[in-house]
Amino acid sequence: ATAKYLSFSKYRTWTYSQWRTITSAHKERESEALGSKGKDEITLTDDCIKRLNEITTDGTFLRLMVEGGGCSGFQYKFDMDSKLEEDDRIFEKDGARVVVDSASLEFIKGSVIDFHKELIRQSFIVKDNPKAEQGCSCGSSFNIKL
Amino acid sequence: VSRKRIIPQRAPIIVTSAAVSKIKSLLQQQPDMVALKISVKTRGCNGLSYTLDYAKEKAKFDEEVVQDGIRIFIDSKAQLTLLGTEMDYMEDKLKSEFIFNNPNVKGICGCGESFSV
Repeated sequence: ATAKYLSFSKYRTWTYSQWRTITSAHKERESEALGSKGKDEITLTDDCIKRLNEITTDGTFLRLMVEGGGCSGFQYKFDMDSKLEEDDRIFEKDGARVVVDSASLEFIKGSVIDFHKELIRQSFIVKDNPKAEQGCSCGSSFNIKL
Repeated sequence: VSRKRIIPQRAPIIVTSAAVSKIKSLLQQQPDMVALKISVKTRGCNGLSYTLDYAKEKAKFDEEVVQDGIRIFIDSKAQLTLLGTEMDYMEDKLKSEFIFNNPNVKGICGCGESFSV
């Protein structure tokens, strides 16, 4: 009976350590995949690029800012601009340019910028913001995940 | 007891010329649709928000507004909240939207999308 018990515990520790190695390896791979996907990148959708190419003439670009305000604490603000600041980061795709300053970028890393078309309104929106939590229904205001 | 007939005193909503021309061009793009329909949905941080749809035909209790050759249907549920509202259309580079200037509104959301009466 003792021998049986020993072999059983041996078997258990072996599977446990194996499970540990498997899961930790998996976690590493997962975080690597997230990192390579460009955690601090901003993605532009096709609709957004199309609209930006329609409205931007030479030198102008879309500036996205995050400000305090709105019913959930922070809100997005879009603007047309032609002057680059020192701490700006430019996201360019197919000729469309979106500029975000480094302070705002902290709040919107990994987001997607879209030009949302609906019958009642058409506008630029920030969607799938991984840092945002419980936004306003209109999507212009959001709270930061802590 | 005689039943009183309720006659509307004025058009339930006023459509500005900017909105009229936009609705006209929208309806021209959709030849099989006859009108736009305004309804309100319970949603948003202030309780209500407007929705806009194409309409093929007038539903039973819809209110019809005809102005400058365009037709707008107002959903029966929306009629009370919309009375006296001015419907405007605004367009700039960043966004284009229909705006409802509603005198009955008590509070609006920061983004202007939802409201309470």
